[in-house]
Amino acid sequence: MELIDREDHQKLYLQLYEILKKKIESGEWRVGTQIPTEEDLCNMFSVSRATVRTAVLELVRHGYLKRQQGKGTFIYRNTISDGISMLTNFRESMLEETTSITTNVLARTVMMPIDELDIKLNIPPDKHVIYIKRLQLKDNEPLIIQESFIPYHICPLLLEDDIARNSLIDIIEKKYGIRITKVRNLIDIGYLNTDEARIFGLPEGTASLVTMQFYYSGDTTFIYTRSVKKPGRFNLLIEFERKAI
Amino acid sequence: MSNGKVAKDVMVGIFEYPHVPYWFTISQAIRIVKVSFLSAKKYPEPMAVLVFDEKYNLMGTLTLKDILKGLEPRFLKPSEKAQVPKEDESTLSLIWDTLFTKESKELAEKPVSEIMVPAKNFVEPNDPLTKAAYLMLHNDLVLLPVLEGKKKFVGLVRMIEVFDSISDAILKE
Repeated sequence: MELIDREDHQKLYLQLYEILKKKIESGEWRVGTQIPTEEDLCNMFSVSRATVRTAVLELVRHGYLKRQQGKGTFIYRNTISDGISMLTNFRESMLEETTSITTNVLARTVMMPIDELDIKLNIPPDKHVIYIKRLQLKDNEPLIIQESFIPYHICPLLLEDDIARNSLIDIIEKKYGIRITKVRNLIDIGYLNTDEARIFGLPEGTASLVTMQFYYSGDTTFIYTRSVKKPGRFNLLIEFERKAI
Repeated sequence: MSNGKVAKDVMVGIFEYPHVPYWFTISQAIRIVKVSFLSAKKYPEPMAVLVFDEKYNLMGTLTLKDILKGLEPRFLKPSEKAQVPKEDESTLSLIWDTLFTKESKELAEKPVSEIMVPAKNFVEPNDPLTKAAYLMLHNDLVLLPVLEGKKKFVGLVRMIEVFDSISDAILKE
């Protein structure tokens, strides 16, 4: 059995989280079964009750476990993407050759939630939010203006990461261990404002495709992005596939 | 005089205050003040908003007084050039009812960068508190940023803590 390494610099609860996650993903702990009690887990891994509780809470938050009042905690699912192919970044959504895509970071700062951002991110209205604005270009042609909003408390060090060369989702999943369980897309037609029109070199008020994406980990919304796409450069393809039973 | 205290001994964290980017409008800042302080019944001294640039560098601060000053119609702002005797202010009483109503709504759409107090003065975490006091008094500041290595914004010194430390030293001596 894999054990906690106390020499490892990683926090104990994160180590325990990874160990338990492996048990779930590998099928060692089967979907629908109850996990051992807090006390048993403390004894199995020689850690405190607080460590166990935090690791279990993370697994609940990421959608692996489900708590049932008065009954205990059960394995809810052993895979997060569940066969659904999610388009999570620009590179995946373009059908053309994508080698010449570059990203310019136009802004990365911290702000308070406005315009119902608190409701979109499901956070109190006085909580700080990381704001990232990026411009994606192909062969130096501006194609997408993307604004991302992330609750500051979820990944406070995100401002120091290289968000020009790495996907925001990759950073959040790999560095912060937050796994995407669901992405909700809203697609709308918008009209370019002064700033967007200047960037695209088009008249203000030109109709454009706007996608709003909500990224979830369990029940937590951890990113909201709004992408304005250059008119005339994007098609929308939606494909459905029946899952094998 | 300040019991050997340095800025980092009394500074408060930067997340004690709301953050806004410089392109936010005054009306957006007002909503943030209402949500962060008034509705939440939190009344820190001073009540202020921190203004940042697009690279998350501190640009300035915005107190309630700065916001109201930014909303004051231009024609009411005192001009140093105009030779208007002080007593003539009373003749303006007819327009008090319209103050902060008409032009102010338009002014509220200005960006906060136009009305903030620029952050020109700062201290390092290990600077003596007396230096902070000096800068605050001589520049009429209610908040003083604490920057590490002249770049990283790590905290804020407020007048209330400066007063507390210096007055303690005075009373002891």
